[in-house]
Amino acid sequence: MIARDVGIGLRAPHVAEVMATRPAVAFFEVHTENYLGGGPAVATLERLRRDAVISLHGVGLSLGGGDPLDRRHLSRIKSLVDRIQPALCSEHLAWSVGGGAYLNHLLPLPYDRPRLEETSRRIEQVQETLGRTILIENPARYLRFRHSPISEPEFLGELSRRTGCGILLDVNNVYVSSRNFDEDPLAYLHTIPVGAVGEVHLAGHTANEAAGRTILIDDHGSRVSESVWDLYRVTVDRFGTLPTLVEWDTNLPELAVLLAEAAQAERLSHPIRSSERHVVAA
Amino acid sequence: MSSPRELERDLAAALLGGSAEAVVAEIQGDGFDPAARVAIYRNHVFTTLTDALEAIYPVVVRLVDRRFFGYLADGFIREHPPAGPCLFEYGEALPDFLAEFPACRDLAYLRDVARLEWALNEALHAEDAVTLDPRWLAAVPPDEVGRLTLRLHPSFSLLESPWPIDRIWRANQPDADPDATVSLDEGGACLEVYRLDDRPVFRVIAPGAYAFRRALVDGRDLGSAVTAGRSADPTFDLTDALRELLDDGLIVGASACTPSATQGGLRCTPIQRPC
Repeated sequence: MIARDVGIGLRAPHVAEVMATRPAVAFFEVHTENYLGGGPAVATLERLRRDAVISLHGVGLSLGGGDPLDRRHLSRIKSLVDRIQPALCSEHLAWSVGGGAYLNHLLPLPYDRPRLEETSRRIEQVQETLGRTILIENPARYLRFRHSPISEPEFLGELSRRTGCGILLDVNNVYVSSRNFDEDPLAYLHTIPVGAVGEVHLAGHTANEAAGRTILIDDHGSRVSESVWDLYRVTVDRFGTLPTLVEWDTNLPELAVLLAEAAQAERLSHPIRSSERHVVAA
Repeated sequence: MSSPRELERDLAAALLGGSAEAVVAEIQGDGFDPAARVAIYRNHVFTTLTDALEAIYPVVVRLVDRRFFGYLADGFIREHPPAGPCLFEYGEALPDFLAEFPACRDLAYLRDVARLEWALNEALHAEDAVTLDPRWLAAVPPDEVGRLTLRLHPSFSLLESPWPIDRIWRANQPDADPDATVSLDEGGACLEVYRLDDRPVFRVIAPGAYAFRRALVDGRDLGSAVTAGRSADPTFDLTDALRELLDDGLIVGASACTPSATQGGLRCTPIQRPC
């Protein structure tokens, strides 16, 4: 397990610079699906793993879906996990396959009992195949279903309790989803069980004005917003210091900008004791 | 309330451009039109899949203009959504889609240019394989050479076109001379595509070498491959052809095959397994 530090999402345009300069971050997280072929991508990752910590973050297993689990995809992930031996391995509480089509999006599911049972079974199947526990991330959401009697943090907590999986708490997604449904992000954080969170994600979002209301979009295309930094402080206070990732996917900046965001997360990644809080306040 | 399968099917259909009516009834508004909420997801699906296709087909994008590519990609995604989550594997059907796309009918060469871009993409992501040590050949008795079958590198493929697609491709690279022109009357091309030093490359090859390599790719033995090479070009030479394959590190396996009553009429023994 990685402890007490901050990593960055590694994207293709930064790979050469990262290989040449080896920035001192706690870990590099990559999207599993980009490394399931042969050739230079996976060879480079294998070189990087020799002296860096790697986290594999999957987007395509459709764990919350109803179509049968894609066994070929799972077995390819298994091969990569065996080859790279990542410190962390994660997926999403979402689905992405419907009617045989892969939709390239983390789609929302209604949170009810049948889905809880089905998703638990799928997570167990994945953990059994990989021979390790995985982390499940809360997705950014733009819609919710009329029938969805369980709250998302309760659903995640229950998945963790039943399967032993950890929770990958994306603080930006908590903020985006809560704002999009006029809910309280602090209440969300306080419903997530302490001890179940294995990693935290941070990223930027954008605000879209439409039909007189603001919808936040999780585009990973800017610096982490002040509101999300505030929520991160609360997260650290509640859950302690955790491996934390700064992600950036669209409008990718210079590597230095991403590293500066990681440094900011590092400064905030330790709980402030109440006595120190007074000093800070003074 | 619809069943889990129905709900997903309805949302998936709505995201791929179908009606959102069924799924909208299941969505809570929260002060915003449920259909507009579905549209946020749909927009992401089409934008990111179009980006993925643009990354694989940059020359086609340049030839038809980026905005027009967005229009045809929209139709392509509806008709051929990805079958799996690895987007470097998405878009194989685009060349044939272009050939049938009414607004591209005048660009007869477009399909083959797209096939070349797809072959380069496949070469980049193909499985790795260890090249056979060239010394293996010395160990094969001369009278058995004709019965050898060779396995070529997984990144290797062949492409034939009546259009000068190699020159069209080169003229549409970012560093190409902007004033260079390609005449469609210049004639076609026989190409081989493979990965060399971590980069996908293609090369124009002579008709004899093309026929020889085509026979090998099809799993025929060296004897038949030489016959194919000679019928395409009487001056075709086996020693040169083998040396070229070895120099480029394209042979990753070799088997000696003998006629057999079972196993499809042939029994093949690996000469040397790459480790």
